[in-house]
Amino acid sequence: MIGNAPFFVVGVLFLMGLVSLFLSKNLIKIAIAISIIGSAVNIFLVSLGYRAGGTIPVHFLAGEGSTMVLPTPQAMTLTAIVIALATTALLLSLIMLVWRHYGTLDIDEIRRLRG
Amino acid sequence: MGKVYTGFGYWDVGAWILFFAVAAFYILWLRAQGRSDYKKGTAQDEIYWSGNEVPEDGADLTVPASSAYWGFRKALEPFYKGLLGMHTGLPADVVGYYVLTVAVLAVFVLLV
Amino acid sequence: MNWNEHFPALLLIIPLFGAFLAPVCSLGGKMARNILLVAASFLTLVVAFLLWRSVLANGIQYYVMGGENFRLALPSGMALPVRIILEVDAFSAFMALCGSIAAFAGALFSVNYMNRFSGQSRFTSLYLLLATGMLGMMITGDLFNFFIFIEISSIASFGLIAFWRDKPSAIEASLKYTLVSQVGSMLILIAAGSLYGKYNALNMAAIGSSLTMGTMEKLALVFLVGSLAMKCGAFPMHMWLPDAYAEAPTGVTCLLVAVSQASLYGLMRVCFSIYGVAMGSTFVPWMIIIFGLASMFFGVSMAVVQHDIKRLMGYHSVSQVGYMLLGLGVGLLVLGDARGMADFGFTAIKGGVFHVFNYTMYKALLFLTAGALYYATGKKDLNEMGGLARRMPYTTFMFVIAAAAISGLPPFNGFVSKLLIYESSFAVHPSLAVVALLTSVLTLASFVKVFQTAFLGPEKNNLLHVQEVPPAMLLGMVVLTAAILGATLFPSWTLSNLVEPAARALVDQSGYIGAIVGGGM
Repeated sequence: MIGNAPFFVVGVLFLMGLVSLFLSKNLIKIAIAISIIGSAVNIFLVSLGYRAGGTIPVHFLAGEGSTMVLPTPQAMTLTAIVIALATTALLLSLIMLVWRHYGTLDIDEIRRLRG
Repeated sequence: MGKVYTGFGYWDVGAWILFFAVAAFYILWLRAQGRSDYKKGTAQDEIYWSGNEVPEDGADLTVPASSAYWGFRKALEPFYKGLLGMHTGLPADVVGYYVLTVAVLAVFVLLV
Repeated sequence: MNWNEHFPALLLIIPLFGAFLAPVCSLGGKMARNILLVAASFLTLVVAFLLWRSVLANGIQYYVMGGENFRLALPSGMALPVRIILEVDAFSAFMALCGSIAAFAGALFSVNYMNRFSGQSRFTSLYLLLATGMLGMMITGDLFNFFIFIEISSIASFGLIAFWRDKPSAIEASLKYTLVSQVGSMLILIAAGSLYGKYNALNMAAIGSSLTMGTMEKLALVFLVGSLAMKCGAFPMHMWLPDAYAEAPTGVTCLLVAVSQASLYGLMRVCFSIYGVAMGSTFVPWMIIIFGLASMFFGVSMAVVQHDIKRLMGYHSVSQVGYMLLGLGVGLLVLGDARGMADFGFTAIKGGVFHVFNYTMYKALLFLTAGALYYATGKKDLNEMGGLARRMPYTTFMFVIAAAAISGLPPFNGFVSKLLIYESSFAVHPSLAVVALLTSVLTLASFVKVFQTAFLGPEKNNLLHVQEVPPAMLLGMVVLTAAILGATLFPSWTLSNLVEPAARALVDQSGYIGAIVGGGM
């Protein structure tokens, strides 16, 4: 059971991000919530690759070790982190432009497109 | 070439175009039966707008697009009130409907 | 060197290289940049066409990225394919062809449409990047790579939708799309990661060959179906779509239509080739059919009352995606049942696949005509337009063709694909065909409204300066019109050469898996 602790953390973080996404009024908090969701998914990916008692997945000059953790989820996580970075950068610049146009960061005010 | 067999019948584009061409020929022949000996520029040539004066600017003459289907919209007013009420435009609603749908799907796929 | 083998990689490299070359080419002036945009998208179209021909002649084509030999799917001693493999079967090649035609038409259109605005080198770069992401989604054989290409196209579209930074509505549309797209992508990543965790493979064929249904697989399927249906624009997750399509520059909207088709491709690939007959219960096919029905009906009901022309067309996009989901859902419903498949299932899949081609062509053409109206008159609101048929005859003619095609009027190609969908969905339950027919009627109603208010009627005094759009924009529209007329006049050729191999490849799960894993299921 204790081995599943990372997955509980993932679930809790994901739900926290999702709840904050719906209940926040400030756009910056919504951007932070999306970042939290991204972090939750990254923790999920990394903890998928763990093998009990494993060492780093390196062959040369890595020292002793019988099992290795899987490297593929680590590669997936790095890629996902980079993508989340690009998206957060774009999201923040969009929020900045919203501030410039609407004068407010309240999400209920940004409703010119409706119907 | 041009005949599509669905499992229940067939569709032949050549036959349809032939029928349309025959009908178009007939219609154009009927239109050409009109008289061309009217005097242009006199009262015979003017638009009749139910006895009112025809405005100069075409903009006063047209029915705007927003009132094009007013009868349809008025008849279905409860439906449209609900539907347009759903499209609020709030970002929380946009993400909310998506998360709600996926959650409902997830619950049902585990039950069924 | 045998070029045939390298087409999958070339299909991705050409637009990607063009995207990175755009800032350099812009130093040579406006003409150099426009030539780059048109040349890159034309070359992509040529490569997509040749790839399609090659796949039809030689069967499934795969390409291993980064290995010692690009044909070595299972390196020596390995039980699983370990590299990123691009797998192109007839359905992928068909979608790549549709997408490249739309990208080329949009590029031709944007050459003149965007010449009043600055920042063109960034526009060209983002446009070609979006084309790369779309084509990558369509030809990849790896689930995580699919997620990467979804993100590439999403990020490029965030930037392109908000391209006119001075319009607050464009920023708002891009913001809403970003929020919902990010949550969706995270769910796709969770699904891909959990499938990797159990089967230790990211390759779609490898997962498909060893998949057995359990709780985790059901949840992963629901996450993938829900998120990909959101990116297509299925009701009730469609709210971002009319805003985004209306606020983007028109060439970009033309390409966004093809990008949402790539998400539909992903949905079908997951349902037919990864899960396939292992799906067990008919819950997911019925959910797809219900998404289709809801999108059709509610999309067109919203469209009838709009008065902004591009928003109206955006809601029609929602409803047309419903047709495709209905057709493909009916096919998925009887996937394991050989008699149902022969009776109406395969017809439904053919109808859905043909509708993908038709929809990409006529929807892109409709958006281009709306963009032409905006370019000529400066107005987007239908209340302010009128009497433009005499001044813009070519645009009017092409609009009539596209509007007749989308409403499913004979003899156009929209009628043929809708006929296939009506007849096969009637065999499942009559009410499905009733909803589809009602949607067609309402579609015709709203396009009659658009035609009457924008093109017919007396001329308005403030629109006397309007003239026909420049030739490059007309050429972009003519490309799509030629495709529509080709599919109209030769429906059985189109069905048997373009659609049927694609539909057959979609249904053939063991062929898809066997090409990579070898030895089959």
